[in-house]
Amino acid sequence: MSPVLFQTALYASLALCALGLVWRASAWFRVRIGTDARAVTPSRRIVALFRGSASALFSRRLFAVLGAFFLDVLLLRRLYTNEKLRWLAHLLIVVGFTLLVLMHALAPIVSAKLFPGYQPTLDPYLFLRDLFGLMVLTGAALMVLGRRSARRDLTQTRDRFGAAFMVLLAFVLVSGFLLEACKIASPRAFYRMTDQFIGTSDPRKLAPLRALWASEFGVAFADMKRPIDPLLVEQGRKLNSESCASCHAKPVSAFVSYPLARMLAPVTSVLDEGHAEVWLLYLHVFACFLGLASLPFTRFFHVVAAPISLLVDAAARDRASPGQGFSSAGRASRRALALDACVRCGICDSRCSVAPLARYLGNPGLLPSHKLLATGALAGGRLLRTGHEDEALRAADGAFLCTDCGRCTSRCPVGLDLADLWEAGRGDLAAAGLPTPAQWVQARPALDWAEFLQARSGLHDLYDPDASSALLSAGRSTFSRCVQCQTCTNVCPVVAHSIDTGHGIDLTPQKVMNLLRLGLRDLALGSRMVWDCANCYQCQESCPEGIRVADIMCELRGLSVQRLGSVRDWKAPA
Amino acid sequence: MAAALFAAERGLSCIQIGNSGGLLFASGLLDLLGVHPVAEGRLWRSPYEGLAALARDEPDHPLARVDAASVRNALETFVAALGSAGLAYAPLADRNRKVLTPIGTVKTTFGVPRSMVAGSYALEARPPCLLVDFRGLREFSAAQIVATLGDRWPGLRHQQIEFPGYEAVPELYAAHLARALESAETRGRTIALVKPLLGDARVVGFPAVLGLARAGAVHAAFEAALRIPVFEIPTMPTSVPGLRLQGALESAVSARGVQRRQQARVRALSFEADGGSATLELVGIPGGERVLARAVVLATGRFSGRGLTADRGGACESILGLPVVQPDSREAWHQRDFLDPAGHAINRAGLSIDENWRPLGANGKPAWPGLYAVGSILAHQDWMRAKCGSGLSIATAWAAVDQVARQLRGNGAG
Repeated sequence: MSPVLFQTALYASLALCALGLVWRASAWFRVRIGTDARAVTPSRRIVALFRGSASALFSRRLFAVLGAFFLDVLLLRRLYTNEKLRWLAHLLIVVGFTLLVLMHALAPIVSAKLFPGYQPTLDPYLFLRDLFGLMVLTGAALMVLGRRSARRDLTQTRDRFGAAFMVLLAFVLVSGFLLEACKIASPRAFYRMTDQFIGTSDPRKLAPLRALWASEFGVAFADMKRPIDPLLVEQGRKLNSESCASCHAKPVSAFVSYPLARMLAPVTSVLDEGHAEVWLLYLHVFACFLGLASLPFTRFFHVVAAPISLLVDAAARDRASPGQGFSSAGRASRRALALDACVRCGICDSRCSVAPLARYLGNPGLLPSHKLLATGALAGGRLLRTGHEDEALRAADGAFLCTDCGRCTSRCPVGLDLADLWEAGRGDLAAAGLPTPAQWVQARPALDWAEFLQARSGLHDLYDPDASSALLSAGRSTFSRCVQCQTCTNVCPVVAHSIDTGHGIDLTPQKVMNLLRLGLRDLALGSRMVWDCANCYQCQESCPEGIRVADIMCELRGLSVQRLGSVRDWKAPA
Repeated sequence: MAAALFAAERGLSCIQIGNSGGLLFASGLLDLLGVHPVAEGRLWRSPYEGLAALARDEPDHPLARVDAASVRNALETFVAALGSAGLAYAPLADRNRKVLTPIGTVKTTFGVPRSMVAGSYALEARPPCLLVDFRGLREFSAAQIVATLGDRWPGLRHQQIEFPGYEAVPELYAAHLARALESAETRGRTIALVKPLLGDARVVGFPAVLGLARAGAVHAAFEAALRIPVFEIPTMPTSVPGLRLQGALESAVSARGVQRRQQARVRALSFEADGGSATLELVGIPGGERVLARAVVLATGRFSGRGLTADRGGACESILGLPVVQPDSREAWHQRDFLDPAGHAINRAGLSIDENWRPLGANGKPAWPGLYAVGSILAHQDWMRAKCGSGLSIATAWAAVDQVARQLRGNGAG
């Protein structure tokens, strides 16, 4: 490969990568999420970073940062506690890829300096290169299989760039193995080396060496007669030890490339004639450069952002609780950093307590991974666009139907404070004029909604048992034991405190249950009781007949958003 | 509840499965035996004399199987436990008391909460009395009581007032008022509204809304401020006294170490042969649960409590399908007259037991050595018409737990 071409491509990709990194990292100080973040200037956020870093480096918190580096960044402790198989896959990729880069890609400045006798064709490097490559491929395969076996529904976010980057990574590895296999099997490479180091490429003079390399080094000579004479092989061994052994070990230890070379043996002459060794080298190297240049622009930027996020958290960890150790400027940066540090693993989605509701409503906007993207889109001004009101409303429904149970935060393998991000995002949505479901539902009385729904959707039958037969609120067995004893109302703190005529509730829990019993569900959807319910579960726990009153209220809120949302009018604010 | 309480008092390790269901519908009054024979509607001043007559006339009646001393002990222990949980009852005498109902009829009962006992005395002496109710509280009408009793109680009058803070609310709920009256400010404003209305009244009655968890203190505060005896009248179910009773019982059993699985239901109950352990598979709680027990007390109630279920073919015991004593055919369940004073045969349906409170299987022998049955699921009684619901539950629980303790001691379990 031409050194000029190589260096030009290398420096160009390095420059692109560096520019990308700076641009992406600058977002941590530019992007504003949450109304409190608007009052903080980028310069204050940069100052906060330096202050925070300095105070952590020169205090006992340094040990916490070092601990986090080893346990959380290198050993992926948080992922281990969540999902062992995914942890294994991730660890294989991280360890394999890091060592491959250090030992192989950066060989002249790392391996050659650390190990003076380093040659890529000697053991153990021959073995290790294949081992590291296989680790990455195995890890990637485990991840792909894991994603394919997971539910293929709305929980998965689409990311074409990410997928392309994964293909590129796989290409780098596969082309690397192929390149090595081609080199092992190639007679052309053999003669080039003998010409250079023995001074001849005459097959007759090299017969003993050819015999040895054909039988033990995997070179696929098309003109080699079989069986190979063992005496000739022994003669070749002497020549090999004099001229070749200092740089070449038997490639059998390259346990992936060597079998691949044996498989390629029948077509080696074709490959040699087509200079496969050369163009595979170009493909391999340029794919690496392309990956390097594009890394900051894909979601795999998390390989930079996630460790930083973990270390930043560790630096502030000795405070009372997560997030407490940050100033308003630090918090603002941390939220922007979270957008990049998310590894899109989907663990938050799988643990989300409103995931069943998201599936029922067909609105992925309720799920953490989608909320994170929507939060970023809103902060970047991409969410509120005329003509895309529905997208914005679905994102708002998702944000506001979150129960703040905190399971996403507690399970995040990168330790992102998602609860804080959701709260800040809701502030932005409200500031952008996107109403909460409670606000837009309560803008009309319940009866108005029912009539409006009937008029707009053309439904004449308010009871829709077929569409909702699996739901609590439509199941006949749900209410068959209700005796209207009004225990639910008696213990309801919301009813007890609704003593103002202007803001009192319209229906008591018992009346809501009665409407459902009568099949008049749509009359209850817009009720204040449904939306003012505090989810304290006293009704459900006290019901002598075991009716799931609180669960039904929760379900009705979801149904309201779906059914009333289909007929609401809303325009994006100018 | 009573069985769990008595088991815990005896130091037995106990787990209670399922909610207390109908307890919420209770009036807070503890009936022992009010009427016997049911068909004659004879009221008993002394429940113990009534029980003796019951034992003679209906030897199969569950209460006939419990001796008077045990009944006394059971009720005293039960009331003392409620007292320890903050729900005070008037001292138990050997006689029944009369109390007012929210529609002005008179009920014969035995154990009366301290907050209601002044009404019982007033009903006997009939002094000038003011009954107060609150506008919007549908389940109680002082005017109705006066209309029913006024001709026999000349000094009885009523007044309706607005409940402070709820003036704008069209419909009131007793439990909310009870909680509100635990606030000194609301209490003070209510008392200030009532005081000018007292006139010559020597006793004043309210719907049973004087406090919930701190009912004793609220009642005492009313008496101290109004300076005459104050009494509560039970309201329609679900009433505040029912909530108080449930709350006090839950506190009492929890304080005595009973493990409770309120939201759980028993999906399956199986027994090892020849004694050993029973295995209960619970559902309705996250992840389910499996419980091993050396004795199981079935206190699942009748139809309302879901201990029995009924279909066109007849009544069945819900968990184990134990044989149910019941009329031979569905046609014989009810009398021709719904209000027949003798009651209906289906209201005496339930489980047959041996002398040790163990329900009988199809072969007429105990279904399992460690299985016991108590309360309204037992056959040969019509607790509603005999006014013996609480007494039946408490006394049979006491007797059965006594047998459980003997069994476990016999097994070396203590």
